[in-house]
Amino acid sequence: MLSYILRRIVATLPVMAIVALFVFSLLYIAPGDPAVVIAGDQASPEDVERIRQSLGLDRPFLIQFGSWVWRILHGDLGTSIFTNLPVSTMIGQRLGPTLSLMIVTLLLTIVVAVPLGVVAAWKAGSLIDRAIMGFAVFGFSLPVFVVGYMLAYIFALELEWLPVQGYTPLNEGFWPWLENLILPAIALGCVYIALVARITRAAMLEVLQQDYIRTARAKGLGQGGILFIHALKNAAVPIVTVIGIGIALLIGGAVVTESVFAIPGLGRLTIDAILRRDYPVIQGIVLLFSFVYVLVNLMIDVTYTLVDPRIRY
Amino acid sequence: MDRRTVLKGLAGAGGLALTGGLSAPAIAQGAAARTLRFVPQANLANFDPIWGTQYVVRNAAALVWDTLYGIDAQLQPQRQMVESEETTDDGKTWTFRLRPGLKFHDGEPVLSKDVVASLSRWAARDPMGLMIIAIQQELTAVDDRTFKWVLKQPFPKMLYALAKNNAPCSFIMPERIAKTDPFKQITEYVGSGPMKFAKSEWVPGAKSVFEKFADYVPRQEKASWLAGGKQMLVDRVEWIVMPDPATAAAALQNGEVDWWENPIADLVPVLKKNKNISVDIGDPLGNIGSFRMNHLFAPFNDVRARRAVLMALSQEDYMRAIVGDDTALWKPLPGFFTPDTPLYSEMGGEILKGKRDFDAAKKLLAESGYSGQPVTCLVAQDQPITKAQGDVTADLLKKLGMNVDFVATDWGTVGSRRAAKTPPGQGGWNMFHSWHAGADCITPASYTAIRANGDKAWFGWPTSAGTEKEVTAWFDAKSLDEEKAAVGRLNKAALDDVVYAPTGFFLTYTAWRKNVSGVAKGPLPFFWGVSKSA
Repeated sequence: MLSYILRRIVATLPVMAIVALFVFSLLYIAPGDPAVVIAGDQASPEDVERIRQSLGLDRPFLIQFGSWVWRILHGDLGTSIFTNLPVSTMIGQRLGPTLSLMIVTLLLTIVVAVPLGVVAAWKAGSLIDRAIMGFAVFGFSLPVFVVGYMLAYIFALELEWLPVQGYTPLNEGFWPWLENLILPAIALGCVYIALVARITRAAMLEVLQQDYIRTARAKGLGQGGILFIHALKNAAVPIVTVIGIGIALLIGGAVVTESVFAIPGLGRLTIDAILRRDYPVIQGIVLLFSFVYVLVNLMIDVTYTLVDPRIRY
Repeated sequence: MDRRTVLKGLAGAGGLALTGGLSAPAIAQGAAARTLRFVPQANLANFDPIWGTQYVVRNAAALVWDTLYGIDAQLQPQRQMVESEETTDDGKTWTFRLRPGLKFHDGEPVLSKDVVASLSRWAARDPMGLMIIAIQQELTAVDDRTFKWVLKQPFPKMLYALAKNNAPCSFIMPERIAKTDPFKQITEYVGSGPMKFAKSEWVPGAKSVFEKFADYVPRQEKASWLAGGKQMLVDRVEWIVMPDPATAAAALQNGEVDWWENPIADLVPVLKKNKNISVDIGDPLGNIGSFRMNHLFAPFNDVRARRAVLMALSQEDYMRAIVGDDTALWKPLPGFFTPDTPLYSEMGGEILKGKRDFDAAKKLLAESGYSGQPVTCLVAQDQPITKAQGDVTADLLKKLGMNVDFVATDWGTVGSRRAAKTPPGQGGWNMFHSWHAGADCITPASYTAIRANGDKAWFGWPTSAGTEKEVTAWFDAKSLDEEKAAVGRLNKAALDDVVYAPTGFFLTYTAWRKNVSGVAKGPLPFFWGVSKSA
């Protein structure tokens, strides 16, 4: 297993290299110029050109790419064109809020969606099943920002239970940390709860028709034991897969959620960097995200061995 | 006990178990009253007011760095860091003396050598500064508190140049920082103004923090814009960036922030209904909408085509698209200069007044030789003001029978593409939209967009000898009457040649909670004199 994990980690390197080349090339050919944004609206073309030169943006593609790769190989993601801060510092500032949002959303998704899916499968065809699946369709259909605005209006403005925006680090207290994340996590989690609930239901329906479930019932096992111990464990592989995919997709969803709830996370950093053409920051974030994607896939594969002993690498 | 209290209690108990400690204590009411939470117009992405000339950088810099002179609400330059000044009879030598007791945020005294270095860096990036450099003989420190600027010819607008609020302002920094190449960013933020920049708390794109500088020596006069006594009545100012206006509106209503610099017009009715919120015009100098044509390529290289557009253009359509139906927020502008300011003129503005004459405009367009070639119109969709103007322009041009190539893109792309002097079909353009802060359009000094010196002019590269002649006349003017006369002629020449098409004058609101007092109207948010009760 250990050698498998090491092999997989080594295999990420060419993937990252291809991503790096792709991102760099894409940004190079994309329209837009950070020097224009820096110089301001009233700047003369000469000023813009001088700023381009000072940033090294006038150098040929291969030289720019070469020097970037050299820095990456030395563990240096570069310096933001705009803030003059190291990209690693900027990512570090934003990692906490995004990780917090993702963890709370993921926990919420698992805690709500898996039981809903199990119950829907158990009561397949009933009113409860239809209600849960109706909710799933609703969750799929509503964009994150619509849910976000609705939640903020009801729970922050009208009821005054929770704040509208912001983020408080965990070291400043658990409740301040959590109260800022509840609404964003619900908004972001809606679509994933719907997705995981549907997959759980489908996987459970298949398992519940297996012979060993019938045997368990014949032995007189309770419904809870059958559903959550025997059936759910055997239905876990597709559920784990979709939860894993969900983690990757959460990164995309976080961009919108962080904007709506003014959470200073990586999603907003990405948007800001793209709009300003802050190339080093964009490149650093994309590299990080691609690494996270690869890592999540690896974790999913390893988790398979935990839920299904027949799977070995 | 409300539900929030119950939730807090439950979560607090859970948190205690998870973190093994008590959650942080609530901020004391007194401390909260000494912290002003402000939502700025944009993200403070960099903090070098000479290197980056965005308004948001200028606004933050005004808290941290002081200037030699400051412009007041009457648009007059007033002494700020300077105690006195003298000029020789020939107007070529200026000698300035600094106020005693001025200190930088690192505790070091402000000396003439710091001023010389700061002015040199500023002048290399500022249009008025460049004019001074062009006639400069020497800029030297005479002693610790005295410095001298010797010119080859008089520059009557010297005090205005040092006081103006248009970016870049001549902020005073320590010599070691001010010696940084003006095209490279500074890395230390040691200020000379009433607030210190808390770099350790800076999260670009999210939060910037400013703390009161105890050793700042404010002037004794009453504060007026960038002039007078900059008395800080709060200890801490937090800038909280909110990209989503709806979130900012909700946060203001919920009391999570105290002051929102520029609420969008759509949300103002909601804010006005809230009894805890005050809403008023933020900047009485407002903004001027701009529809810029490329003078290098057909059809707009022919003045008849440009005038045809002006004849058909309805400023009301543009203004309603930008600010909605609130008629208090806009007015027509048959000229280029900010209304209700001393140099405002409508000379030559008849073409923008009265009923729009499409038949005459079509006839003039045909005379210009336009025969249906595509007109590339760059429209930034991520800026509400440019998007609104772009939609109106597309409709206007279609009504004129023009073939519009509507390029919907983002501001970053427009900013880059507008610099291209290639033909429209080869990566260039025919028109784009922008807007200019009214504060920049009071005089020709910092009004880059009105210049019409061809290749050296702003994007669109207009050439208008009449316009340029009057710009020079304004700089040479020795009295307000002379200035008014020059600007009147300038206005007419620029309209005759259609340097650009003004789409109207519009204002924006600012909003703050009623426990905040002292918010002043002006071209930037002034934090001195602002206080907050618990």
